[in-house]
Amino acid sequence: MEEAKVIIFKSEAEMPTMAASLASTLYNKTGSWRYMRPLYVDKTPPCNDACPAGEDIVGYLDLIRQGRYREGWELIMQENPFPGVCGRVCPHPCESQCNRTELGGAIAIHVQERFLADWAHERGLKVIPSVSPDPSTPSVAVVGSGPAGLSCAYQLAGKGYPVTVFEAQDKPGGMMRLIPECRLPHQVLDYEIAAIESLGVKIRTGVQLGRDLWLDDLQDYQAIFLAVGQSLSRNLGMSDEDAAGVLHGIELLRRLDQGDKPGLGSRVAVIGGGNTAIDAARSACRLGAEVSILYRRSRHEMPAIEEEIEEALEEGVQIEYLVAPVEVLVKEGKVSGLKCTKMELGEPDESGRRRPIPVPGSEYTIEADTVVPALGQVADLSFLRKDIRAERERIVIDDSGATTCLPIFAGGDVATGYGTVTHAVGSGKRAALAIDRLLRGETLEGFPPLDRNVHAVPRDVDPTVVGFEDLNLVYFEEVPRPRQARAPAEERVKDFDEVNRGFDEEVAVAEAARCFSCGTCNQCDNCLIFCPDVAVLRDGDERPYVFDYDYCKGCGICVVECPRRAISFEEEIKWKKY
Amino acid sequence: MEKVLTGNYAASWGARLSRVQVIAAYPITPQTSIIELLANFCAEGELDARFIKVESEHSAMAACIGASATGVRAFTATSGQGLLLMHELLHWAAGARLPIVMGTVNRAVSPGWNVWTEQNDTLSQRDTGWLQYYCEANQEVLDTVIQAYKVAERVLLPVMVILDAFVLSHTSEGVDIPDQDRVDGFLPPYRPQLKLDIDDPHAFGPIVAPEHYMEMRYKMQKAMEEAASVAREVDEEFGEVFGRSYGLVEPYRLEGAEVALVTSGTVTSTSREVIDELREQGVKVGLLKVRLFRPFPSMAVRQALADIPKVAVIDRNISFGHGGIFAQEVKSALYNVDGAHRPPVFGFIAGLGGRDVTPEPIKEIINITLANDAPPEEISWIGVKK
Repeated sequence: MEEAKVIIFKSEAEMPTMAASLASTLYNKTGSWRYMRPLYVDKTPPCNDACPAGEDIVGYLDLIRQGRYREGWELIMQENPFPGVCGRVCPHPCESQCNRTELGGAIAIHVQERFLADWAHERGLKVIPSVSPDPSTPSVAVVGSGPAGLSCAYQLAGKGYPVTVFEAQDKPGGMMRLIPECRLPHQVLDYEIAAIESLGVKIRTGVQLGRDLWLDDLQDYQAIFLAVGQSLSRNLGMSDEDAAGVLHGIELLRRLDQGDKPGLGSRVAVIGGGNTAIDAARSACRLGAEVSILYRRSRHEMPAIEEEIEEALEEGVQIEYLVAPVEVLVKEGKVSGLKCTKMELGEPDESGRRRPIPVPGSEYTIEADTVVPALGQVADLSFLRKDIRAERERIVIDDSGATTCLPIFAGGDVATGYGTVTHAVGSGKRAALAIDRLLRGETLEGFPPLDRNVHAVPRDVDPTVVGFEDLNLVYFEEVPRPRQARAPAEERVKDFDEVNRGFDEEVAVAEAARCFSCGTCNQCDNCLIFCPDVAVLRDGDERPYVFDYDYCKGCGICVVECPRRAISFEEEIKWKKY
Repeated sequence: MEKVLTGNYAASWGARLSRVQVIAAYPITPQTSIIELLANFCAEGELDARFIKVESEHSAMAACIGASATGVRAFTATSGQGLLLMHELLHWAAGARLPIVMGTVNRAVSPGWNVWTEQNDTLSQRDTGWLQYYCEANQEVLDTVIQAYKVAERVLLPVMVILDAFVLSHTSEGVDIPDQDRVDGFLPPYRPQLKLDIDDPHAFGPIVAPEHYMEMRYKMQKAMEEAASVAREVDEEFGEVFGRSYGLVEPYRLEGAEVALVTSGTVTSTSREVIDELREQGVKVGLLKVRLFRPFPSMAVRQALADIPKVAVIDRNISFGHGGIFAQEVKSALYNVDGAHRPPVFGFIAGLGGRDVTPEPIKEIINITLANDAPPEEISWIGVKK
């Protein structure tokens, strides 16, 4: 330290005008006064926490805000090869958790994801693999080309593994293929599948496990990922359910995908309350039928995505709640209607929803030319070997996605039954990370539980989830969420064109700017501006700022003034003897 | 460009034309419209300044001190109780030698609660080391703000530009708004000798021990003394550029006067009318307007008033236990004048708490002065209901 110098001025003329030290004050390292220390620690935003695919949502919203769309798309693609699909069909649990909900509505995250995907697709952007496939590395078989299988294949290919995907149908995509084009134009799906193939993933279609192929045929592969989904539609459990005029929801959707337009007659009754039921109903609408959905519980319990229900209602679909069919009515060998019973809700069942109970004596009949059961699907596990355990029609896996028989892994609906593309993407990625570890001789322990997400690219982030009350609300004003435009209902029932429009660039940027960036430093400079000791310095390299602990007095102003909780504050007892 | 402006808006325009860079202020009647218009200028992008909303006048001055210490031009405005709340920091701003300019609207001090004009708020800050200009008209307010920055930045002392509540602050008249280019030519950007610099940090306002403190005060007084001549030069230069100058004091029809009224603020304008009327009638009265109160232009006052038989000072203020403050200052300035040339000084208190000072009380003041060889009482209260 510099020696303190005493200056005695000989005359007032020598003295400075104002009372100011002539020497620099840098010698005075005020950091020694500190007993609390601020630290830059990014925490987990609730959206990122909630994303089943493990996307860094706050990360790409910030990139949209800055106009860095290519990087935004690439950031999603690190974790999820299907942003165009998920931006359209994901039920977006991220938005349900968004802290913006309280101040103008949740960020329209799914539309932002779609914006980046559409932006990239319009420009024909390609995924650039960091590793080229090496024939000497172990190869992996993936069974099923739905979102789980392709997500797994994509992640493994990105790490240089040769991957072959076996698909029972003629075209890859699994259940994504069955989403009608009015929700998901198939060119979007095709683009994203092509991007996966461009990494060297081989997809062999028309090869069904248990028919054309058996597990034992796959012994040349060093690991196997089973992602065959749930391909069987649940039966009604009634006589005459095979009568002409009964067409299961997934069958209807598959035939539409194949370019077939089945004659449904003028009255269609769809049975069920999930997305397949809604998709089938909206498709039937577009084929010119009057459509009713019969659902045995109330709207509150309906598992379909809220917006999809609204759009179906706009398009003229009738939904009858608290109704269940009891008999398929047949006339001259063909469906003529349904006998139904009214239901009421009793005590909650194991799903947490209130159990529907028939109301005695409430039976009535409705007329229908076609009955479309959409009661959910189950897996076809006929191919399974005895050493691979299954319970309740699902393959049992541990937190790494491993079945009871290594090196066989499983994921997606056949193992987890979540029933969304995004969950399946996360599940496939989890298995890919596990397979990579297995093939490199590492342990499979330490994976988060199956209801948590996984990241392909590790993030240096505190797992604490930032809540609304953790933010410094002084900095945020209420700004309304923009509406996603959609075609008028009377127009859109005429064809299968996509209903929802994306955001244009201006809206997307403004919407990204509405993000609080919870727990995530976005270089707002508030700490830098507020620090009374000029002890916040720009780093310029990896992190935007660093604390100059030589001078930081530990006042904590930066901690309080950080709008988004990206600074932690910890006790620092320097004088304590250990 | 000529515009119809209130006195408050004239102050805002003065600040805008001076290209202030930081404005920190807290609203108070009757000042608020000064900072409202400035906030609007900032919001519309017409003024490239940071407007800082604060939670009190104390904070407003603290923010101006901080801003000015970094070498930028800072402005604030206040009135009455707000000014009193600033008191501690007024000393600080002057002691730190920061050329802050403040639009200050004279408002009576509470209680009783009163928003009308009176000078006690500003005059009780007379020893803080701030220059004080008392303005008579809206044009003078605008022009004085611009002059104030030039003076302040030369002598490194802060300046209050003072206007009467409502009589000026909320009364509109035609005001010439000079071209920005000409103001820029008159008032170049502020270039401080010493400023807060994060790349070369120094301690500002640190402890100064007895061996140096007195010298610092000496230098402040020297700066105040210099300010009187700098203010005169700046006013003259302003006159050359813009065709308007005001002087530090302004004699009006003092030639051959038997009584000289001494006035400040808007009482001056009414007094001019009265003097014109009485001169018509052959009464020999004149007027001396005191525009600069700190530093007190003693020499100019002496030159103007020596040899006039009687001096009558109208004070819109009261120093309790002594009398009108302008009267004290005038007496003090004249004390060392040779007795043969030294007039008696009659002190009148009028118009407190915004009571109108119309021509009648001014005539009464003149009549009392004419009728007595010496002041009939220490303080003559005009218009008090006894």
